[in-house]
Amino acid sequence: MNHPPKSITAFSLANGLGCGRDAVEEALFAGRTGLVTPPLALPFETFVGAIPGKLPELPPSIADYRTRTAQIASLLVSEIAPELRRARERYAPHRIAVLLGTSTAGAEATESAFKHYVAAGSLPDDYDVFKHHTYGAVLHVFRELSGARGPSFMVSTACTSSAKPLATASRLLDAGVIDAALVGGVDTLCEMTLMGFHSLDALSNERAKPFSSERRGLNIGEGGALLLVERSGDAMALLEGVGESSDAYHISAPHPEGLGAKLAMERALAFAGVEPSEVDHINAHGTGTQLNDKAESRAIVDLFGREIPVISTKGYTGHTLGAAGATEAIFSIMTLLRGEIPASLFAGPVDPAVEARIVLENERSAPRRVLSNSFAFGGNNISVCLRAV
Amino acid sequence: MSGALDAAVVGLGLYTAFHPDLEAFRKGEVSAEPQLPGGRFLDARTRRRASTLTRAMADAYAEAMAASGLDPASIASVFGSALGEAGTMLSLLDQMFRTHEPVSPMRFVTSVHNTASGLISISGKNRGFTTSLGADFDTPAMSILEALGLIHADRVPAIVCCAEEGAPEDLVPEEYHWALLAGAIALVHPEEAPPGSMRLRLMGMGPDESAASNKDLLEPPEISLALSKSPVVGILDLLVALAEGREGRIRLDRGKGRGFIAELFRGD
Repeated sequence: MNHPPKSITAFSLANGLGCGRDAVEEALFAGRTGLVTPPLALPFETFVGAIPGKLPELPPSIADYRTRTAQIASLLVSEIAPELRRARERYAPHRIAVLLGTSTAGAEATESAFKHYVAAGSLPDDYDVFKHHTYGAVLHVFRELSGARGPSFMVSTACTSSAKPLATASRLLDAGVIDAALVGGVDTLCEMTLMGFHSLDALSNERAKPFSSERRGLNIGEGGALLLVERSGDAMALLEGVGESSDAYHISAPHPEGLGAKLAMERALAFAGVEPSEVDHINAHGTGTQLNDKAESRAIVDLFGREIPVISTKGYTGHTLGAAGATEAIFSIMTLLRGEIPASLFAGPVDPAVEARIVLENERSAPRRVLSNSFAFGGNNISVCLRAV
Repeated sequence: MSGALDAAVVGLGLYTAFHPDLEAFRKGEVSAEPQLPGGRFLDARTRRRASTLTRAMADAYAEAMAASGLDPASIASVFGSALGEAGTMLSLLDQMFRTHEPVSPMRFVTSVHNTASGLISISGKNRGFTTSLGADFDTPAMSILEALGLIHADRVPAIVCCAEEGAPEDLVPEEYHWALLAGAIALVHPEEAPPGSMRLRLMGMGPDESAASNKDLLEPPEISLALSKSPVVGILDLLVALAEGREGRIRLDRGKGRGFIAELFRGD
């Protein structure tokens, strides 16, 4: 089947750098970090990316779905409301899909409810698992806010969750099932995630320094990102290809030679019909863990050589887990739109074992094509190929 | 429907606590006591890490894969579950907030929704596509849609495996308490279908079509109340209809989802 490029006609995002496209873009290219001390009580030190400021309330019709996840959804949808209105006028609402990703969904709300359960012996009266926890709850909120009535589901493949819906959207557009898709993801901070990564010794007690010889692990971030993907239209960037793979190696550790990562990048290139030499820049998964950064660098160098500029944006936002894939796809689009690659924050001094060329200061190199990588527990890998219009 | 996709069915698999496979279910062979799933598709090492949900998925997956004759090292695999590893998540919350124990790293790693997807890809040495998704009571329909997209856009065979462990009773109101259930369907592109194989087409994607599709639906099988409440009961209804070679339209959610329907027919 032919895979023509898809038009990305709008996007919105929120994370530790700020609320909304302009605030995030300004901070990203100014080299500011959004990593702060956690707003949660934790028995260890770390940094997190937390969305600053007050989130909007939900409209009365869905007010009983109120969770932080739903409020982030409201923020994201409102920022692209004009483009959504135009899409609803152009296409039948049932031809607009809602394809999202998350790792936490309503876990933050369920944590609070569980604490109440332990203390009082019952769940809070206003807690409803189907309104506050499940994927269906989040999907309902997005459908109601956006007016999209097409197929909708939530991918949950840990840290690739919000990149994989880009692939699904592309396939369903190619297959003629839909005309447009609202694609993205949301993740909120919760104690379980932070305690879990701490149990794996994966969290840094400093700000994350992906690719640096001084890196000590990752920081977790909260975030949400949304893209409107259409068969055609007035595009800000083009979705050219997506490659997906599995490591088939280990449930939580990456393949040491980056085999699955390399496969995902190769498949993205094959899907897009381009050679490695035609890619100008890579937004790496780059978590800041010893294993990930080394394996990913090896895979990149194997496929692209040592000259391609590579960054990780997790020093800005932390690892937004289920929102990371869509967030970093948007960072890649910003890079294409500005003709500027932001610095890989806190990467210097670069680890000598990292052979890829890590960008330490903003570069005005006018990239035309970017790969954005996301890798996850389960050995789940995805690489997204985006091109300037 | 405009853009309706279909696929040919080449393998079916089922697991419930009282039926180890689809054959037992169809023959009405009910275990005297509920049994734990064995996790047949998993190798010994990964099986040790697997939850009840993952093992149930692995049992249904193994049965469907064996029937299909497809290559487990390359098949695109779609895993659907509404709540996923909710039991593991609750045990983590219990460690954190009730017993105040250190969080178990292995339990954390296997609390993610794609645990089954990861462990099954490791056991199957599968470096191809795998995903994990949820959509509450529409999980079976949306898992099938994801598979149909892969089959048509990427021209690969795919397997859909939907499962739900028993309802987490601490979280879910009693009216919803459901039982463990896993079902799997292996699918190929219609042009690669064995002669006379059953076909499946996903319906109910538009308002007009939903109304039309709701007429003359196939009756779902009689099952226990606890199974009928499962968010993925639609996969069981579909499996039984396919196994019996019934043609017609069957609802994929027993009334609690958005009304997606599978149209079943026999190919040439």
